[in-house]
Amino acid sequence: MGVIKVGLPPKDNNLFQLAQGYFSTITTGMIKTGAIFWKQISGKEKTNTLEWPEEPATYGDRFKGKHFLTRREDGQIRCTACFLCATACPAECIHIVAGQHPTNEVEKFPVRFEIDILRCVFCGFCEEACPVDAIRLGPEYVMAGLAGEKWVYTKDYLADRSQLQGGITSVKDENVKHFTVDTKIDPEDLLATDAPHMRGHS
Amino acid sequence: MVAEYPKILLAHQGLPDSRSLKTYLSQGGYEAAKKAISMGPAQIIDEVKASGLRGRGGAGFSTGMKWSFVPKDLPGARYLICNNDESEPGTFKDRQICTVSPHMILEGMIIAGYAIGAAKGYIYTRWEFQKEIQYLETAIKEAYEAGLLGKNILNSSFSFDLDHYMGAGAYICGEETGLISSLEGKKGQPKLKPPFPAVSGYLGRPTIVNNTETLAVVPWIINHGGKEYRKYGTEKSPGTKLFSISGALNRPGVYEVPLGYPLMKLINDECGGMQPGRTIKAVIPGGASAPLLTPSEIQDATLDYECMAQKGTMLGSGAIMVIDDRQSMADLLRITIDFFAHESCGQCTPCREGTGWLANIMMGISEKTAKTEDVNRLGLVAKHMGGKTICALSDACAMPVMSYVQKFGDELRDYLKQGAVH
Amino acid sequence: MSPETNQQAIKPVPLKPAEPVVKETVTFTINDKEITVPKGTTVMAAAKQNDVYIPHFCWHPGLSVAGVCRFCMVKVEGRPKLEIGCNLTATPGMKVSTLTPEVKEAHKWALEFHLINHPLDCPICDQAGECKLQDYYMEVGQYKSQMERPKVLKPKAIDVGDDLVLDTERCILCDRCVRFEAEVTKTAALGIFNRGDRAVIGTYPGKKISHQYQTNIVDICPVGAFTSKDFRFKQRVWFLKHKPTICPGCSTGCHVDVYGKPDTRTYYRVKPRESDVNQFWMCDTGRKTYKHLNQENRLRGAITSGASRKRATLAEAYQVLAEKIKSASVQDLALLVAPQYTCEEYQKFFEFFVDKLKITKVFEWREPTEDRKAFDGILYRGDKNPNSLGLRQSLEKRGLVKPGQEIPGFNDVAASGATCVIALAPEILFQYPSLASQMALLEELSFVSLWTVSADLVASKKIKHALPMKGFAEKTGTFLNFEGKVGQLQEAFPSAVEDARDISETVTSLGEVLMGLS
Repeated sequence: MGVIKVGLPPKDNNLFQLAQGYFSTITTGMIKTGAIFWKQISGKEKTNTLEWPEEPATYGDRFKGKHFLTRREDGQIRCTACFLCATACPAECIHIVAGQHPTNEVEKFPVRFEIDILRCVFCGFCEEACPVDAIRLGPEYVMAGLAGEKWVYTKDYLADRSQLQGGITSVKDENVKHFTVDTKIDPEDLLATDAPHMRGHS
Repeated sequence: MVAEYPKILLAHQGLPDSRSLKTYLSQGGYEAAKKAISMGPAQIIDEVKASGLRGRGGAGFSTGMKWSFVPKDLPGARYLICNNDESEPGTFKDRQICTVSPHMILEGMIIAGYAIGAAKGYIYTRWEFQKEIQYLETAIKEAYEAGLLGKNILNSSFSFDLDHYMGAGAYICGEETGLISSLEGKKGQPKLKPPFPAVSGYLGRPTIVNNTETLAVVPWIINHGGKEYRKYGTEKSPGTKLFSISGALNRPGVYEVPLGYPLMKLINDECGGMQPGRTIKAVIPGGASAPLLTPSEIQDATLDYECMAQKGTMLGSGAIMVIDDRQSMADLLRITIDFFAHESCGQCTPCREGTGWLANIMMGISEKTAKTEDVNRLGLVAKHMGGKTICALSDACAMPVMSYVQKFGDELRDYLKQGAVH
Repeated sequence: MSPETNQQAIKPVPLKPAEPVVKETVTFTINDKEITVPKGTTVMAAAKQNDVYIPHFCWHPGLSVAGVCRFCMVKVEGRPKLEIGCNLTATPGMKVSTLTPEVKEAHKWALEFHLINHPLDCPICDQAGECKLQDYYMEVGQYKSQMERPKVLKPKAIDVGDDLVLDTERCILCDRCVRFEAEVTKTAALGIFNRGDRAVIGTYPGKKISHQYQTNIVDICPVGAFTSKDFRFKQRVWFLKHKPTICPGCSTGCHVDVYGKPDTRTYYRVKPRESDVNQFWMCDTGRKTYKHLNQENRLRGAITSGASRKRATLAEAYQVLAEKIKSASVQDLALLVAPQYTCEEYQKFFEFFVDKLKITKVFEWREPTEDRKAFDGILYRGDKNPNSLGLRQSLEKRGLVKPGQEIPGFNDVAASGATCVIALAPEILFQYPSLASQMALLEELSFVSLWTVSADLVASKKIKHALPMKGFAEKTGTFLNFEGKVGQLQEAFPSAVEDARDISETVTSLGEVLMGLS
């Protein structure tokens, strides 16, 4: 433990002297404050504070605020409903119902994807856990509201709210799929090979 | 070039109409079968054991020993199968026997069938041998007509039926259990051992599968005795063997020489040496699945199982492929790997995935998109494929790959870098 | 494996080949641990019996040995090559090791070979969490893959059966499904087509798997190649907990595990548990028995009036029933019991109603169309009730039925002249196809107290008194199967319905109310 040496208080017990010291310091301070006040109010000097909410504040892209769901380049929701975000979530605020996508190419997709924002602790684990870059925490931070508002964000809201301006597209290499995907499979096709090194044989 | 050793398998080569039963009988044919039936099974097996005959299909296992594995007092059917699938790339010796004297195979089968107590034999020929199939069919027909096959053959109590079966040309059906699966009407893939076919093979019955060449030599052994056979070849590899030699030689073809014959002598004398302007770059001594030998290694090489094993390769089916200096090792390796990747039955994981993986890497090398470390990766993958599967196909692919990488790794890397063909 | 085999015609087969009567034993060591097993046992089977860990894919104790995954490599002292444990018969004095660096290297590479063409789509694969590939990667793998080339692609999401979806890309070709089809159900609809790394599992042309043991294929598939349509995408397995219990689907009484999510008290699937009753399998009918346990299908509270359908408290319902019992004479009272409750519940129920209240009219509630002697040769029996024997024993003990005599059935209720019937309704309703007509008969009686799990039975509003019961997975007790083998039920989680009680609890509470009246 360190020892901090502090100067002793003035020994003089003269009340007048004490009062003089007090007032002189106060006055110096007030003059300084007043000068800055007038400079700023007259526009001679820039203020450091923000007039929120009249003047909007923005955070950097790395700020972990309100969640959003990204889309593929073809516009579909990127989420594959793997439940890894829900597994990682310490607040257990992510609820997913998975379903079979009409096209085999996607196979699994979230029928429902909901975040109970009142439980969320904005830890960003969901973003970390996601294997396909489907969920991110964005720079939006205004989430206050009144009792009547919806606190469970639905899939549509997460992917499509007006602030996202038509949705965020995540560009990522898609897995190459077998040529039979998304078609009715003919037994003959099963015997056909598309192993590239095998073309030319059989 | 005059042979001072007898022709056993190709004795009838050059005789007019050598395939016919008439010619065969005129040369003392089917005398061995008569002798064998008078000898009794145990004596036949002893005679074959005494000859030291080793399986000519590739593994070189003692034939007499193999026959003695059949349970003696087990009632019910036993089967004898002649493996005439000859699918090892570079091998064309069995078709020569079929072409020259198919009756030799039939006689060998009658003797072997009598020795193991089989009343039914199958010849399993690959479908691509269309001509040879005809020769064999004719021979079988002739033998049936002459009472050499069927009920009470040669006026004895022994009955032996022979069926001819055509495979669809799968490499793996040359492996004995793969062949049995195919013969049973199943997908041609090897079976788990144990149980071995000698105990439970075709239809779950004791079965002996022998190579065509092995069976064809049996009549000679019965006629002349095992001791006579031992006069040729070496101590551990007795007898003569057919070698199918291919490459840029003056006289490639099938040659019958005693085992232990010097490789260089065979190339230079029998085959008349390399074609003008070509030099030997490497020799594959036992079919595509044998590791290759460099020119320095072949100088003192002799054609027997022991010498080849000592040089880290194998005699296999005796398919000698001489690679000359104009060949690209990368192309050869790609063709070899593609063959095995195509022929892997897909049963065991290391072989199914390993051969495909090697082919995949090799494709990258051919396209020159691979990295130089991929050449070593070929060797690494091959190393871990070997010795881990039901049959030997995995090793058959892994061993040559490892030898290519080991002996011609630099050429492969250069090929990748410059695209230069050596 | 003939493709002509009729899929529907499942012929009777013994589930396990008859155990050879061998008294001889073999003693050998695995990792210096001495093990004694009957002669002829393989190293793999011996290791499993003695809790020695040998990783494997294709070996399954209920199927023949295929030896194709080449994963169960072990080192035998004195032998040059590694050998597979599944086809290696133990011989006296054999020294087996699974821990040498050579074996570990072999395991690692075997896994690498399995994974090079695996799509690694774990995020959308239902098997993730119980996948052998994942497990072994953590246990014996943990390498950096050498595979840098494009993978071999194969067809995905193929519909191959009533409950089966096949993904040939995830498949590791372990052959278990093919052997199951060939050996257990003898339907042989599956085969491996093509060769080498193009090999795929598939059904023979024009065939679909349509027998009722197909979901076993999903269970034995060590990876996510086969997934069940019923469970597909419903839940991730790591959220599920399971408890051992007995399948209430028929009188075989297969030992099963029910899987559910504890926090929501929702059940998702039933899987077989290894036992001498069902070996490793169960039928697809039995797999449907979890559905009625979920909240949306349950009777959520007591009912005391037909018209208003007002949810009553249990106390009110007991009061109404107790008054009714008290006012009725013994001749008016009858008990109608379905053989789907536990022995302990019957004991308590009859102790109260028969021994104490002296009711003698006891009827068995059965499906009239069922053929009790029927048997499909594998597991499924015609007697669709899990505890027929338990009910019979309870009644025989009390002299209400003589041994060998039929228990009076459903149709005898009306003829008996009883006006106040306490009915223990069947729990597995889909095994009672004539239920609608039976309910119509019940509704004609002047008073029926229906004790039931399911809300379906009280849908008609003519039932004026109903009590919610606990389902089979929510209580502890025993079932006696067709041959008298005891099956133990265990409570998986607290009931999804708060008011649900088992019969023992209900009878105790009812008894207390009845005592209070007198």
